[in-house]
Amino acid sequence: MNYDVVIIGSGITGASIARELSKYKLRIAVLDKASELPAGASRANSSMIHGGFDDKPGTVKAKFCVPGNKMWHKLKDELDVHLDECGSYVCAFSDEETKHLGKLLEQGKTNGAPGVEIISGDELRRKEPNVSPDIVAALWSPEAGIINNFEAVNAMIESARINGADLYLETLVTDLLLDGNQDIRGVATNKGEFLAPVVINAGGVHSGEIASWAGDYSFRIIPTKGEYFLLDRTTRGFIHSFLFSCPSKAGKGITVLQTAEGNLMSGPTATEQEDPEDRATTPEGLAEVLKGARRLVPNFPVNLNITTFAGVRANTESGDFEIRALAKPRGFVNAAGIKSPGFTSAPAIAEYIAGLIKEELADRITLTPNDKFIPERRNIPRFLYMDMDSRKALAEKDPAYAQIVCRCETVTEGQVLEAIRRGARTITAVKMMTRAGTGRCQGGFCCPRVAEILSRELGIPLDEITRHGGESKLLVGKTKEFLLKKEGAANE
Amino acid sequence: MSKKIDVLIIGAGPAGVAAGIGARREGAENVVVLERDWDLGGILQQCIHPGFGLRTFKEELTGPEYMHRFIKQAHDEGVEFRTNTMVFEIDKATNTVWTMNKERGIEALNPGAIVLTMGCRERPLGAIRIPGTRPSGIYTAGTAQRFVNMEGYMPGKRAVILGSGDIGLIMARRMIWEGAEVEGVYEVMSWPGGLRRNIAQCLDDYGIPFHLKTTVTRIHGQDRLEGVTVAQVDDHMTPIKGTERYVECDTLLLAIGLIPENELSRMAGIDIHPVTGGPVVNDLLQTTNPAVFAAGNVVIVYDLVDNVSDEGLIAGASAAKFAAGKLSGSARRIPVKGGENVRLYSPQYVTGETDATIFMRVTHPIEGACRVFAEPGLYSQRLRYARPGEMNEVKIKAEQIRNLPDLQEIVIDIQPV
Repeated sequence: MNYDVVIIGSGITGASIARELSKYKLRIAVLDKASELPAGASRANSSMIHGGFDDKPGTVKAKFCVPGNKMWHKLKDELDVHLDECGSYVCAFSDEETKHLGKLLEQGKTNGAPGVEIISGDELRRKEPNVSPDIVAALWSPEAGIINNFEAVNAMIESARINGADLYLETLVTDLLLDGNQDIRGVATNKGEFLAPVVINAGGVHSGEIASWAGDYSFRIIPTKGEYFLLDRTTRGFIHSFLFSCPSKAGKGITVLQTAEGNLMSGPTATEQEDPEDRATTPEGLAEVLKGARRLVPNFPVNLNITTFAGVRANTESGDFEIRALAKPRGFVNAAGIKSPGFTSAPAIAEYIAGLIKEELADRITLTPNDKFIPERRNIPRFLYMDMDSRKALAEKDPAYAQIVCRCETVTEGQVLEAIRRGARTITAVKMMTRAGTGRCQGGFCCPRVAEILSRELGIPLDEITRHGGESKLLVGKTKEFLLKKEGAANE
Repeated sequence: MSKKIDVLIIGAGPAGVAAGIGARREGAENVVVLERDWDLGGILQQCIHPGFGLRTFKEELTGPEYMHRFIKQAHDEGVEFRTNTMVFEIDKATNTVWTMNKERGIEALNPGAIVLTMGCRERPLGAIRIPGTRPSGIYTAGTAQRFVNMEGYMPGKRAVILGSGDIGLIMARRMIWEGAEVEGVYEVMSWPGGLRRNIAQCLDDYGIPFHLKTTVTRIHGQDRLEGVTVAQVDDHMTPIKGTERYVECDTLLLAIGLIPENELSRMAGIDIHPVTGGPVVNDLLQTTNPAVFAAGNVVIVYDLVDNVSDEGLIAGASAAKFAAGKLSGSARRIPVKGGENVRLYSPQYVTGETDATIFMRVTHPIEGACRVFAEPGLYSQRLRYARPGEMNEVKIKAEQIRNLPDLQEIVIDIQPV
């Protein structure tokens, strides 16, 4: 298949680049090995849109974080994504930590982070009554927010697709293809070759390995696991924003936040590991999160926990992003080592990459503006958040919106059908796109129902439906068939 | 305009169907039961094993057979059922119940009284925070039961069962019958969660190992479950180092407890008891919102469906009286207190308007002669044993309460003799 640009990876970075490049007349392919989006670090993270005070001036991260933050405040409407513009606090427990807040304040000013200020512990407790009485001061960042990361990645890639980009899921890139000049010709995948003069490496935790195929050994990815607790939505209002611990040598530390959907959440740990795909939670990690959560919020209601999860982020030795076009092979662009504040920075990184292509790769592809670019994308209707008149109107127009599939999150059959129409093929894909299964019963009620709808709509047997692609089938066969097969085997 | 609904019942499981019958028998004209599923009967429709109705019908029925008898009675009594109808909101200021249905669309109902009979749901994996991966093949026992008994599909070939609640025990046997293997049942407590008869009939009869004071400490597998680590626990339920064992399995079934399903109850603005997880009720099964009544597993998780049906009849009758303006607002409200070996109980208040049955569970098992009682001197009964997995009852006559006009509180307990 011939394209102008192939993007490896459809996390928030790859998806944002795809959308940005779809503003130009380009044939774009986005490849991701996962069966649903988001899958990697973009699925399992703190879903933070950072205020921009935390990054050392002069770093690549500092360059993109504040502009990215500004872009999200606009993108949320364009893409119809839920962004809770709640602000964030960095909490200090001692005079020494308060001094550090002063440094962060200065850093914020240098980075251009608007409105950052230091408030007293008492002032913080007036706004967030459940925080620790031992907090003496906090750094307030009003422009920080919390995004629905499932929605955001899907919105971004959908917008790119509306504007002509092609998404290929379950497509694992296995190698780069080079031409006679040893420049980029495309990529090899498990689904065949994708040819393009420009290949962008947004491979997240695998971006180091992919860069090494291009002979770029200038950075190494250190897969770093972050573990989290996610609590029931009945915790809404327990806290209203995002609480950081004061950063120490050990990292940003454990945070406590209220997700865009109103769940209390805490994490992450930062455990370096070899395996980029190891997303198992651990007793040690979960204990560390709980300890950190209780330090910030002593009455953290962990008994309302509904799930624990872990993400693996693409840390680098330098701690910074690795964004550049290689001199050789020409056509290879790294958008690699993207970790916190990666979600925040993604739209700004994407814009930068478009500029980079214009400046450095004009001989390979030409960026002609796409005058038909449609910036708006509408989300699947969210029944939970609608007023009664809109619900009635929707149900009248399409009765599938008068049938609940997920009772915890009040997701209707209409929403599930729309997710399938937009490409969902697995239980997890429906979950990412509609939030069915994200509630307190964690799919106990809706999983069989979603499976039935997928089976019916896609015309595939129920026992072929998977949780998240690959070998993750829900069922192993029909009851009597299974028994007979087993008896048959025994008789032989 | 459709005629006014006198008693609206939410959920057509055993409690809701009985509440419909109770309301009609008490004289309510227009009694409607809403059911979100396409068929009546609730969870009992998938409980195709026998063992139901021994108390009520003096014979052993399957879940669907038991429900059929009640549903038939309800039809004969003139109860109206609406299936595929989900309540998604209750406005506590007006007691307006918002429903949805594909044919009827979205409707607001304003009944004279409401009975909550939504039942309970199973505790999910997240509630117990087991470390490890999140592959497919992990189901609550009830979800697996739905797949096997309703859909006709097998969730896996080799199962480990965590928790010894009754559905888990029933599903252990069911998996064996369908040709799967069950490696064992693991229970973190030092006593079983379910009924003894189910341990005997579902595990012992099939040679399924039952491990007390043992739990799953880790989940393995990326796509499909590949195995679990199990370990013994100490008295503080902390895994004991050195006792870990890897068990290969493709399925983990969870029977780690049931929680009353009270999203709608919260919307209705009624008090939820912190221990039962269900509405605070009096012996008329009236909640703290006078127009709202509740019965069955939505109030407290019962062992026997017979009790659920009995409570449904009471709640339905009380709701009918309320709708007709016949329930005096000045009823006494005598609190029931649990003694030191009482983990949970319901109802929490006694009015003296009716004979009351208080259902309770002990905190610690007593393996030997003991006594269940209500002070001051209201009830006393000898027992051969008392176990957390098996509910006990205290019965108090309305007359006893009426004879004690100064009674301030009732204390219930079970103690060895």
